[in-house]
Amino acid sequence: MSDQTTRRGALARAARGAAALALGGSAFYLVRKADGQIVWNVDSARCINSRLGVTNVEACNLCTTECVVPLSAVRAVNEYSKCGRCYICPAYFNITSAVDEKGLPSEKLCPRDAIERKPIGDIDPDDPANNFYEYIIDEVKCDGCGKCVMACKEPLGLGSIVLRVRHSLCVDCNRCAISTACPKDAILQVPIEKAFDHVQLGSHD
Amino acid sequence: MKSRASTLLAAAAGLILLFAVNAAGQAMQYERPVQAAPQEEGIGGSYKTPAVQKPQPRSYWLEVLDVVLMAVAMGISVWVVLRRRSRKWVLALTVACLGYFGFYREGCICPIGSIQNVSVALTDPGYAIPIVVTAVFFLPLLVALFFGRAFCGGVCPLGALQELVLLKPLRVPRRLDRALGLLRYAYLGGAVWLALQPFPVHDFIICRFDPFVGFFRMAGFAHMLYIGAAFLVLGIFVGRPYCRFLCPYGVLLEWVTRLAGRGVSITPDKELDCGLCQESCPYGAIEKMRVVRPKCLYCARCFESCPREGPLARKR
Amino acid sequence: MNQTLHQRVRWAAWIAAAAVAVCVLLLTISYAAARLQAPRDEKTVAELKRKVREDASFAPRIEAEHKRITAALQQRRKRDDVIAIVLLLAASLFVAAAKWLAACGGRRQLPMDRLVQLKAAPRQGPALTLPAAPGGAEEPHQAFVERIVEQHGRSREAAIPILQAIQAHYRYLPDEALKLVCELTEITPAQIAGSSSFYSQFRRSPRGRHVVRVCHGTACHVAGARLITDELRRRLEIPGGADTDAQRLFTVDEVACVGCCSLAPVIMVDGQTVGKLTPTGACDALDGIRSPSPA
Repeated sequence: MSDQTTRRGALARAARGAAALALGGSAFYLVRKADGQIVWNVDSARCINSRLGVTNVEACNLCTTECVVPLSAVRAVNEYSKCGRCYICPAYFNITSAVDEKGLPSEKLCPRDAIERKPIGDIDPDDPANNFYEYIIDEVKCDGCGKCVMACKEPLGLGSIVLRVRHSLCVDCNRCAISTACPKDAILQVPIEKAFDHVQLGSHD
Repeated sequence: MKSRASTLLAAAAGLILLFAVNAAGQAMQYERPVQAAPQEEGIGGSYKTPAVQKPQPRSYWLEVLDVVLMAVAMGISVWVVLRRRSRKWVLALTVACLGYFGFYREGCICPIGSIQNVSVALTDPGYAIPIVVTAVFFLPLLVALFFGRAFCGGVCPLGALQELVLLKPLRVPRRLDRALGLLRYAYLGGAVWLALQPFPVHDFIICRFDPFVGFFRMAGFAHMLYIGAAFLVLGIFVGRPYCRFLCPYGVLLEWVTRLAGRGVSITPDKELDCGLCQESCPYGAIEKMRVVRPKCLYCARCFESCPREGPLARKR
Repeated sequence: MNQTLHQRVRWAAWIAAAAVAVCVLLLTISYAAARLQAPRDEKTVAELKRKVREDASFAPRIEAEHKRITAALQQRRKRDDVIAIVLLLAASLFVAAAKWLAACGGRRQLPMDRLVQLKAAPRQGPALTLPAAPGGAEEPHQAFVERIVEQHGRSREAAIPILQAIQAHYRYLPDEALKLVCELTEITPAQIAGSSSFYSQFRRSPRGRHVVRVCHGTACHVAGARLITDELRRRLEIPGGADTDAQRLFTVDEVACVGCCSLAPVIMVDGQTVGKLTPTGACDALDGIRSPSPA
């Protein structure tokens, strides 16, 4: 190889340099404003199931039907610190069903029986309404259909149950199928630090 | 969207009707028993509020590792094709990358899909993408700027899958090849345009119509799985139909490769123009016995078929 | 080529292809069944829900129904996963086997597979076996050589006619026959060696049924005659040093200019000239000769 510089070679090198500069520049611009790790997250204030003011409608189950992960990467989570631990939980029971002999609604709300009802401490049988119950959602059975979320919010419940993305299952689709289907644009990408905040629920519109 | 809203409305109406019917039945009149959540001290006993499960995503350094692995794989691709000129090694790399980036990492994240994120991030000041995505998008382009489309040859899981199913390549007439190749530009333009639109129109069609990601995840919409299967069956006879006729990232790589200083070459002093390499190239990337670098997908088939080098020469 | 291994791989490919088809069918059926079942399940649950409002004792039935549906769903997911993995393995096996078969010499590929048939076919027929000496049986050469020697005499001058006769009969000069000639006549081994190697009409090794003459004249040489010879020899699996394939169907000779440089590179197959060739084209040209005319 001779180290003669031909016009052709110089032009090619210049073009390459310009392209490298352009690529590097845009990459640098993107890196400058980059976030850390971002994850998909359900914005509870937007989600129709947890948003205040939406009542008497069927729970939206797009999170179940649209997700590419079998049984959905979205599931209901009971934020225990906000849970009323009610004797009759509107998310556990179908409170519109007939009352059985024990005075409890005869039907459960969850179609997959994913919520477990566990008494806390000793039960006083004479005063059932003042006993506390823990409601634990079985992560394996829940598919995020949102029925309990819809039932738990004001005015029937305290809104302790919300839909959350199971980040361990979420495959991080670039185009989250739920997010494109969601009528309220409630599935958003947020930095991982903000993913577990329990958002104060409010009406969005 | 409209039909969904109307079904919601209908469901709501039905539910209200049910409530009305039930009021006459035996259902209870439910009222919220508490106004605030009882806390540990209120509940008494030795009650502890259970911890809420917080499943963590894959840790960040593993994603960085993916990028590093991708870079290493491209390095190997370049070395194997340009230095060793060995098809066997390319095959091994293809299988390895298909296994890791395809079936283990389930096809995400890939530079093809990240076109959309990058174009949104470049235009929308409020949208940022992680450094990992930036790296995944720009690394193959940088490599292409110096060596050509090393990413396509074995590293890209979509390409790897099609590469492996190719059994009996038929020659696509050059005109048809060119015409179908134009589809990629339309696809790239459409994808970027849709990605830049605001919310209701906004869509990432490259990811939505990714034909093979369903196989990698072993789950997906039935129609996409069938389309993917159709691509694979077509891929038995036509070399890499998705890469050549649809892949929008291929367009970018092609542009950049035009400036590349090095790449696959067929040296005239080593090989007489016997044309075996041209016949062996399933992608029509060898024209008049010379490599058309922007089309070359780094598969090394030409080296294998060469009677002057490769296994045929060694066998003699 | 190991024939049984070939057969086995071929079988594996077919079985794998069948497995792929079956798996795809199963998945499709599973998907269709689930799609059909879903509205039916929904209907059942709705029906039960209606009933439970009249009679609370139906509540456990709903729960049982829900449980059944969930279990069925999970079972289907598990089953589909297993089928998908089997499908994947079968598909990889098929691809691997098919690739192996295709790569098993480029022979199996392209027009060469017909050539293989051509090569394989005459094996059953008597045409390709060396023409047996008229007596057949024990000493085929003995009687033949004696007869030739009777015809041409035992003097040294008879060497060329005798050799020609032997060549005409066997299409080459078998060592055994030459030994007999030396024993029966005054001709010396040195004379035979000299004559048979000097005249290009004599051959010391068996000739194939078809003679392929690859022109190595200047024009053809420049146009890559070397590569054509190489490719032909490779495809016909002619070992180094020999010029005829194992089945004695083709003999590849390198000859000087055949006189049609404008067609370079050229080969002549049994007197037929084929020009403007590529190595693959040359192999195709051989494929063209199917007529089993004995040379």
